[in-house]
Amino acid sequence: MALFTVWAVATLTFAMIRAMPGGPVERMVQEIATQNPAMSRREINAMVEQRLSIDPDETLTEAYISYMSGLARGDLGESTFYSDSVAEIIIQSLPWTAFVMSISILGMFILGIGLGALMAYKEGSTFDVGSSVVAIFLSSVPYYIAAIALIYVLALEWSVFPLSGRYARDVTPGFSLEFMASALYHATLPAASFIITAWGGFALGMRGNSIQVLGQDYIRVARLRGLSDRRIALRYVGRNAILPMWTSFLIIIGFMFGASIILEEIFSYRGIGFYMFDSIDRRDYPVMMGTFLVITVSVVISVLIADLTYGKIDPRVSEGGKDESY
Amino acid sequence: MSSQESTQRSKPASYTTPDPIVEIRDAEVYFEMDRGVSRVLDNVSVDIERNEILGVVGESGSGKSMLASAMLDAVVDPGILEGTITYRPDSETAIDVLSVSKDELRKLRWEEISMVFQGAMSSFNPTMKVGGHFEETLKAHDYDVGEGMERARELLADLYLQPERVLESFPHELSGGMQQRALIALSVVLEPNVLVMDEPTAALDLLMQRSILSLLETLKEKYELSIVFITHDLPLIAELADRLAVMYAFELVEIGPSEEILRDAAHPYTRSLLNSTPNLDAPLSEMKAIEGAAPDPVNVPDGCSYHPRCPLADEECVAEDPDWRPTFTDEHQVGCFHWDQAADAIPFNIDNQGGER
Amino acid sequence: MSPTNDETGKSTDGGTSELFSFEATEEVTTSQQYREFAYEAFYLPAREAWRDWRMKVGILLILGYVLMGLIAWVSSSNFAFLSSVTIVETPSANQFGGFEYNDQGPFQSLAYPLGTDGLGHDIFGMIVHATPAMLKMTFAGGVYVVVVATIVGTVSGYKGGLTDSILTTISDIVMTIPGLPLVIVLAVMIDPRNPWVVGPLLVIGWWAGLARTIRAQVLTIREHSYVEASRTMGISTPRIIQKDILPNLMPYIMVNFVMSSRQVIFNGVGLYFLGILAHGSYADNWGVAMQFAYQQGALFNPDYTYQLLMPMFAIVGLSFGLILCSQGTDRLFNPRVRQRGTGKTKNEDKDEEVTSTIT
Repeated sequence: MALFTVWAVATLTFAMIRAMPGGPVERMVQEIATQNPAMSRREINAMVEQRLSIDPDETLTEAYISYMSGLARGDLGESTFYSDSVAEIIIQSLPWTAFVMSISILGMFILGIGLGALMAYKEGSTFDVGSSVVAIFLSSVPYYIAAIALIYVLALEWSVFPLSGRYARDVTPGFSLEFMASALYHATLPAASFIITAWGGFALGMRGNSIQVLGQDYIRVARLRGLSDRRIALRYVGRNAILPMWTSFLIIIGFMFGASIILEEIFSYRGIGFYMFDSIDRRDYPVMMGTFLVITVSVVISVLIADLTYGKIDPRVSEGGKDESY
Repeated sequence: MSSQESTQRSKPASYTTPDPIVEIRDAEVYFEMDRGVSRVLDNVSVDIERNEILGVVGESGSGKSMLASAMLDAVVDPGILEGTITYRPDSETAIDVLSVSKDELRKLRWEEISMVFQGAMSSFNPTMKVGGHFEETLKAHDYDVGEGMERARELLADLYLQPERVLESFPHELSGGMQQRALIALSVVLEPNVLVMDEPTAALDLLMQRSILSLLETLKEKYELSIVFITHDLPLIAELADRLAVMYAFELVEIGPSEEILRDAAHPYTRSLLNSTPNLDAPLSEMKAIEGAAPDPVNVPDGCSYHPRCPLADEECVAEDPDWRPTFTDEHQVGCFHWDQAADAIPFNIDNQGGER
Repeated sequence: MSPTNDETGKSTDGGTSELFSFEATEEVTTSQQYREFAYEAFYLPAREAWRDWRMKVGILLILGYVLMGLIAWVSSSNFAFLSSVTIVETPSANQFGGFEYNDQGPFQSLAYPLGTDGLGHDIFGMIVHATPAMLKMTFAGGVYVVVVATIVGTVSGYKGGLTDSILTTISDIVMTIPGLPLVIVLAVMIDPRNPWVVGPLLVIGWWAGLARTIRAQVLTIREHSYVEASRTMGISTPRIIQKDILPNLMPYIMVNFVMSSRQVIFNGVGLYFLGILAHGSYADNWGVAMQFAYQQGALFNPDYTYQLLMPMFAIVGLSFGLILCSQGTDRLFNPRVRQRGTGKTKNEDKDEEVTSTIT
């Protein structure tokens, strides 16, 4: 299934590059031709092929096969702006995106689950109502607006956090504490933008699930059986309320990869999203398609992992697959 | 002890038994609601004799489940429970269930008085193996886990389950009947003296119901249990129970030895209830539903609460709530002014309903 | 499969929910049925929802935006007498006089209540005049998601077999493809201008998740005896879907309509803000006003921050309204949440448990 998805996306990418009238191939051929009038058709084709991995004169099938086999070898073409191969650009940017994302997911999960459970336990209290309002309000703030607000307050007004970049200039990358600290410091604001705007959704979901679980008979039975409140909270309410949220976890991964395009641009954070945006700005099609493909593959892999682990931790889905409703 | 509550509906206790293990006096459960006070258990007084099976019968929404919860002081939250519930582990000691400390109550529940809920499906934590439920219960009560699990296996085997398989399964992997039996095993794993069962067989098919009932008999003998079996299904419990208590509109209306109730039910409601239960032997045309609807807990009729539906009702019934009175025998008591006319007014569809075979 | 598609597909272009569009064409008895259905599916929930403060505030907020859209439409319309009516002037460069100093702060003059931007555009005017396009886009996106998801979900859940496998596979793939990157790539390729096209494009893959939920629901509902009964009575599949299944799915559909609308706003403003979606003018999107401000360094100059802030408020306000609505409907259709604390016995909740564990 996962492979199938990757294949479908690769085909889609190919279709967009190659088949679209006025698409990248045509445009590039024209561009090169106007810039270098002396070039022969053959030379132009060679250049286009080097960059896009697609020879404009090949038939559709041939082009498709050579494009796909190129992908299989990890050949994503070459940037038309940077002198690097697309693969290289991605290799050195993807980890940064993954880094910010991991922090964000961890943050929003802890915050959302913790507060959501607390809200459920104190259902109807001022704390519950207040937090609900705050949660609803914050989830109606787009993450990029949160980012702008954070930059404005914490980076510009108070200068507590850096405005942009992945790590301080005077720090050399490596496995040093200094570098790690600097990376974390620079990742704080981007991650915070996600966390602030996304924890509310988790909290409300957790709150709803917990309230539902708290109303279940097995909680009552567990209390009668004399189990400690702690055990009931963790093993009963917690576990049964968190498990169904695994799906939203999957969705958020895909969402965050997408959002990284906008967010990394705002923070000039050179992750994969930054390069994708950059490539759009410069009409650097190879990078654009390459990053798109890699983002998709990353999401597919994350979803696959989450899917497999979900089957492990929730006994109810381990057999019959996640689709089965009964 | 019984008359400190001075509500106008207060009745003296129904027939007291010689050696009760649980005494319930003036038990009352109510909810404060927007439209008034909802009284879902109304001054119920009853004894549970040591080593008997008491069947509590009533329509859905007659307060049976509340009676069950009351015995463990486990009425759900907004509900308020009043009255006295005394537990007598032996004839000398008396424990006031409603005034023990939180810790003692925690020990009392499941170790002394245990409960099987309606719908085993929802009584297990869906993300925990059945065995885990046994273990955590033993641990929570500081029982020896190894020994306890040995007992659990034996119990499961007594209930015709494969112990290892069941303990290693998640609840959803078991059938309804298996879950129900596993739940029964879980409820007696701490060797309680009293087992309260609230509609334990409601969700099961007839065959399964029967087989669980027959297992209960064995279990009761082996583990010296006193059982309160709550159901809406009179014929089902009639064969098993030593005594029957019939509830209507949140109070008890009749109590007595099972055969006697089946043969000579004295309350018009009990008689109608017997007539309305489907019976394989009775032709369908003979079956009679009871006219009218069960009363709303917020607004129970004055006097005898059954009077709007009762063919025998007169002014007396409207004005006054009947006291308990003995009928043919002292053990068989009823809350009805006209019990002696009931048999003529409401004849049974066919003589001798199921129970006596 | 085809009849369902045709019937439900009709309204993809249209304004109102698809369920109303049949009314006129059917004979009296069925039109009555639809009225009944509409009463049960819309009126009753709506009345119930109104009691929830979140719903109330949410609806009022959204109505406020609709009003703003109307004002903009009237102001810029050339239609008959409307051409002479201008409530809020169409913003233009250098509206605020001076060439040297264009930026006027907010709340300083009645003519430009929210101030002007660096080019002298009235910010309030920009917000108001972008409202119609925003609303069209949002609505189009919401309708697109709901219609596609409903068709795919019901058909796949109800038909089963090969149809189901194919549709489910497609949904699964679409669901995994990360939304925004695809949207961006498509936006760059297609370069859409019409808000009715931009809206659906912004949430192009969003139907998949809802379709799966609907499919699961249909599978459950299908087993309910009354659907079984309709089937044995020889009622055709599309009929069953309309009559028995869709009403049960309304809660999911409504919540998802709201949530995907919100997504249209988020994505739309983001892409206009970054200039990925080409903009003709400020009237296309609030994001354009934000982009103007951003390009002029509003972020880095505290004096100009209001230029960025004001459109941001407009965005947050609308999306807050939408989320409040979805929270309200969520509560509305979840009797468990509604009933708690009212002292009902637990029996009544039983059915709910079943459905909620399934989703």
